[in-house]
Amino acid sequence: MSKPVNTVVIVGGGTAGWLTAGLLAAEYCARPDSAFRVVLIESPDVGPIGVGEGTWPTMRLSLEKIGVSETDFIRECDASFKQGTRFCAWQEGHDEYYYHPFTPPQGFNELTLGQYWWPHRKQVSFADAVSPQGKASDLALAPKQIVTPEFASVLNYGYHLDAGKFSGFLAAHCTEKLGVTHILDNVVAINSTESGDIQSLTTQSGETLEGDLFVDCTGFAALLIGKHFEIPYQSRREFLFNDRALAVQVPRSEPDEPIASTTLSTAQGAGWIWDIGLPSRRGVGYAYSSDHTDDEQAEADLRTYLSGISDAAFAESCTPRQIKFSPGYRKELWHRNCVAIGLSGGFVEPLEASALVMIELSAKMLAEQLPANRAVMDIVARRFNEKFRYHWHRIVEFLKLHYVLSRRSDTEYWRENRDPKTIPADLQESLDLWRYQSPWRDDLPQFDELFSAASYQYVLYGMDFETRAPDVDRRSFTANRAVAEDLFTDNNRRTAQLLKALPTNRELIGKVHEVGFQKI
Amino acid sequence: MPNYELLNNVDHKNVKVITDRAARYGDNVHCVMTFPTEFRRIQSCYPIFFQKDANTGKFFPLALLGFEEGENLFLTENGWDANYVPLMIQRHPFLIGYQEDSEAPEGKRPVVSIDMDSPRVSESEGETVFLPHGGTSEFLTAMTEVLEEIQVGHQMNDAFIEALLEFDLIESVSMEIGLNDGSKRQLLGLYTINEERLDQLDGEALGKLQKLGFLLPVYMILASLSSFRTLIDKRNERLEVA
Repeated sequence: MSKPVNTVVIVGGGTAGWLTAGLLAAEYCARPDSAFRVVLIESPDVGPIGVGEGTWPTMRLSLEKIGVSETDFIRECDASFKQGTRFCAWQEGHDEYYYHPFTPPQGFNELTLGQYWWPHRKQVSFADAVSPQGKASDLALAPKQIVTPEFASVLNYGYHLDAGKFSGFLAAHCTEKLGVTHILDNVVAINSTESGDIQSLTTQSGETLEGDLFVDCTGFAALLIGKHFEIPYQSRREFLFNDRALAVQVPRSEPDEPIASTTLSTAQGAGWIWDIGLPSRRGVGYAYSSDHTDDEQAEADLRTYLSGISDAAFAESCTPRQIKFSPGYRKELWHRNCVAIGLSGGFVEPLEASALVMIELSAKMLAEQLPANRAVMDIVARRFNEKFRYHWHRIVEFLKLHYVLSRRSDTEYWRENRDPKTIPADLQESLDLWRYQSPWRDDLPQFDELFSAASYQYVLYGMDFETRAPDVDRRSFTANRAVAEDLFTDNNRRTAQLLKALPTNRELIGKVHEVGFQKI
Repeated sequence: MPNYELLNNVDHKNVKVITDRAARYGDNVHCVMTFPTEFRRIQSCYPIFFQKDANTGKFFPLALLGFEEGENLFLTENGWDANYVPLMIQRHPFLIGYQEDSEAPEGKRPVVSIDMDSPRVSESEGETVFLPHGGTSEFLTAMTEVLEEIQVGHQMNDAFIEALLEFDLIESVSMEIGLNDGSKRQLLGLYTINEERLDQLDGEALGKLQKLGFLLPVYMILASLSSFRTLIDKRNERLEVA
């Protein structure tokens, strides 16, 4: 018999470490005294990087699986509801904006509406024609009511959260409820078996921590996958230029300031600024390309943005924190008995909040397909690598889509982003095709694509991309015209209803703090 | 908007209260809140469900009187057509208000208020509230009892719901009612007792509910569901008349 996988050692206690610990422990009923154990070792000296404050709707499922209540989560993680992203100044560089909402277009499973919407584009944006979520977000409305059960939605949503509080919240639940063993110590040595697997970790206090599978959640340090195994990092900077970020937390000037329903992403001369609204503060940061601007200019641009949303004294005096990164990912994410989850595996600019969802997906696959023993581990590893390399590839492509559709030419940054040399071949191919047919299920090869055709449609048509109606008479196209018009009318009716029925984010979060959601 | 005044035998000495039941007095409601102590009386006439308070999301029990906003199937031209009128209907135009009182528990004591803008308030017709010399009429004594039961019932509802949630005994129901003319009514946002869960409760859980006095009310709710048929029949009768 090959050695069973009974002890999983997670190195690193940020969001990646604790989400992985939670999803694994919840699935395998880990207890300190049972055969299956989850051990998380965390350095007392290294704090989490504390970015990654926007989630996808998938987080609702992850939290439910881990077994926490949504009310507790919202109260303790300073969380608010995220319904998508508002992209400002991405088309022309002025005050225009469009939404990429989380709710798929009306009738998404029946037909695509892009070609039917195009003739109406002067009157209504694509997002507003096919979903109520943009209008609701314009008014900072919540995606549900206090009577909606926890984790259920009226409009699809994820969260904005305080990453530091979130890891603490998960840590408490994992150790108190799920039997995860928590060790505060530094890893000083990694010990190998004869075959080259990791056998154990030696800690600063002299302990030896044995394990069957090791999860590298050590962030950019990549202690196991990078420093120990030296798995090369594949840079994707030829496509995605941004390699630096300046981040700052902005206090709310009024305690009852509206809380935005979406992440705000505002395009700049050499990148874009994120703006994430939590109940008690905003998280703001500029992701930029060091080849296209310098740190001083980037900081000045960030301060200009801040002066528009906070008081002048704060905008001038705050100290943004700089993060340097190389956009890309490991050539192998699972090597021998070590799997990288989180920043150690890869990182790109947070344009579509891909960091947390990639952690969730990795941890989910790990929990679902955890190899029973060492003999079958390489098979699972190979599949894991195939799947997540593919996900990374598609993330890079989807992020790049936002840039190639821009009509901005005010800086070299935007012009170069449209240079064919900087566009992935697959993306160019798809763009050529989308001139004549709307992105739909057929041109996304895998069944569990990270970005569905709905996301592609929202970005393409949000950026005024035209998919031409057929030149010849097509029976189905003509027949569906009436269906499309009905869907538009339906959407108008539903939008009007929801705008009346939904509370603002501020109101709903106040109620969650006061009375909480019901479980049913 | 209601205009509540603290009831007293000086300002309100000539006030009379109309006790007829009619839409013009605001009785055209399709549901009213009810309380565990009232369930026995309610269940013989009306089905009991739970609903969430739109403001707090908290569950509360209600007696269902109709299928849509403003439809009270028990309200006829000749008044209320059932043996029992729910407390929350009987109480009008009175309400329990609270007055600050440092000697009372929680620093406030319940007092009877009256909505002077209610169409039930009159000087010429209806029940006398105060006797000529300022004493309390029998009618007012009865109304005070109604208000007291409501006040106790309110507090009991919170504990009742809490216990039901603890044992996962509440489940949502969605019902579609087919009427004789082929039309359908959809009832949304209603909850009931999860009978399967109730059957699975162990002795300890049942003992706890029993001790709290909540076991009987749970069965009263289940028994009340047979009154649902009455509602459908009444609705069908209206079709024939129309």
